[in-house]
Amino acid sequence: MTNEAVAHESDHHAPPPNVAADVVARELVATTTGASGRFKAWTWILGILSVVGIAALIVKFIDQGDDSTKWGYVAAMVSFLLSVAGGAPMVAMAPVMAKANWVRPITRIASLFSFAGIATLIMLIPLVAILPPLVTEGARRRTIWYMAPDYSPHIWSTLGLVLLLLTGIMLFYSAALPDFASMRDHSTGWRQRLGKRLARGWVGTDVQWRTLRMRIGMFGTFYFLILVFVNFLISTDFGQSMVPGWRDAIFPMYHTVSGFQAGVAGVVIALYFSRKYMKLEKYIHLDAFWSLGRLLFALTLLWIYFFYSSFIVFWYGRSMNDIATLDLLIKGPMIYAFFAGMILLWFVPWWILIWNKVRRGTGAMVVGSFVILLGLLIDRIRTFVPAWSVPPENIHQKWLQEIPATVWPDVFDILIMAGGISLVAFTVMMMTRVIPVLSVWQVQEFNLLAKPIRYIKGHATLVAKPD
Amino acid sequence: MTTSILGLFQQPEPAADAMDGLKEAGFELGTFDVLTGTPYPEGAFGEHVPQHRLFRFPAFGAIIGFTLSVFLTSVTQLAYPMVTGGKPILSIFAMLIIMYEMTMLAGVIATVIGIIFESRLPNMKPGIYDTRITEGWIGVVITFDDESKVADAESVLNKAGALEIKHA
Repeated sequence: MTNEAVAHESDHHAPPPNVAADVVARELVATTTGASGRFKAWTWILGILSVVGIAALIVKFIDQGDDSTKWGYVAAMVSFLLSVAGGAPMVAMAPVMAKANWVRPITRIASLFSFAGIATLIMLIPLVAILPPLVTEGARRRTIWYMAPDYSPHIWSTLGLVLLLLTGIMLFYSAALPDFASMRDHSTGWRQRLGKRLARGWVGTDVQWRTLRMRIGMFGTFYFLILVFVNFLISTDFGQSMVPGWRDAIFPMYHTVSGFQAGVAGVVIALYFSRKYMKLEKYIHLDAFWSLGRLLFALTLLWIYFFYSSFIVFWYGRSMNDIATLDLLIKGPMIYAFFAGMILLWFVPWWILIWNKVRRGTGAMVVGSFVILLGLLIDRIRTFVPAWSVPPENIHQKWLQEIPATVWPDVFDILIMAGGISLVAFTVMMMTRVIPVLSVWQVQEFNLLAKPIRYIKGHATLVAKPD
Repeated sequence: MTTSILGLFQQPEPAADAMDGLKEAGFELGTFDVLTGTPYPEGAFGEHVPQHRLFRFPAFGAIIGFTLSVFLTSVTQLAYPMVTGGKPILSIFAMLIIMYEMTMLAGVIATVIGIIFESRLPNMKPGIYDTRITEGWIGVVITFDDESKVADAESVLNKAGALEIKHA
């Protein structure tokens, strides 16, 4: 069957056959045990890097906690992690709501990224402590909190991120209940005990399935509404409001859409490695890559649309604050980061993903996804590092009178960034030891509703859409 | 005393026949149910469609959160009246962000509570069950107040082609 799945890679028209439900349950539950030596080695490396990153964050806070200009790379990291870990679960929600059958087997991978929100929250803690107060020496700086109490950005941004984490975990757990029941029924040892505890007596009655569908829909909707809101808060409170005169209504949307782009790229990478190294070719069909490729291509085009819409207002505006904002974010200390970000976040992925042949494969897709994530990291550095490099005493200026010099990362920043990214990967990898990386019941549902058929002289998949 | 029995089927069609048979044999709706490891399309087994109130929970929570947020933002601004940018003390656009966040927070919390009620979870007494259900088998479970009906139920399950019948 695996051979047929591999053959499917070279022949678009022959979808692999369905897998029997008992085989699905047995094989996917078995993926939680027996990790390969390579998996264990990577887990150790990522775990150590995560611990070192958190230690570096603590040491940096002790050493440089009184100087906000040195925290730009941590702010960029918060934004980057929010984009990847926050955007990925959208793949587990949006296509499901549109009743796309191809997405059913891969929603688990996407929703596992919800747990990586812990990394974002850890990075945010010192940043909240360092974020300048709203009112200093009787003057209120320009923010979205123009009439709110002084603690507003700090408490509401933190609460927003906690809410996003909670909703993401609930979205995951809502969809994971039947699989915890599978773990209870077919696993052994601590996994079986954990499955029994978390399955909460799930037996698969009609009421349980109906409420499961509804809560996935509800938490999915909540997740989307909160994700957009948190992107708005982080991009304004930790970006725009740090720079006097930077007023851009499009930037929060730009931040959100590039977060979706990064989220899809993150899912493609996770999917690629799961498929290849956990031998899941017969469950993760190429349809998933083709569909994600189209989505990624569309989001890549949206990036340039939002960037240009934002840029043109400043470029035509030519007021003093417009000029200062462009000097700070594009022409000045971050000009190389700007070009690198644009090339990696838009031009290269656009040129890779435009080809149908590329989107029908997996190798170039994963390369394109890595390029997007690298581009996004550089782009976040391009926006947040100069924003935080503005000295707090200049924060009340009408526009930025003096453009700060380029701030290069110190050793703490490099360790923190490596640790933050490692913590996301580590969290996702560790979760695959707790629950199958593919949802057992959704793979079974996929097989229930889709059937490969011979269509005249070609091949097709017959998909039932009952509701 | 037998309080419930479970008929196990490998295919959905005979399970649906069993459900029809139970209805024809006079078993009340709600006394029998189908157990599956994957969600079959609604009505695939001709099963009883129960009413639910899950949508009320997030709506109720959102209303509470919204009300609390209006109270919080209004009271704080009235308690410390400070005119900013010539705007009124109670300025709706300054309040919207907190109102949105608190509405979402209360909506999510109420949904979690609603799920606990509506999903009948945690199910402390899951009753009769078979682990093969998560391997694609289909179970038809019948619960009894009157033990005299057990034989009738077994007859329906056997007639429909149950591969195994378990008692609890």
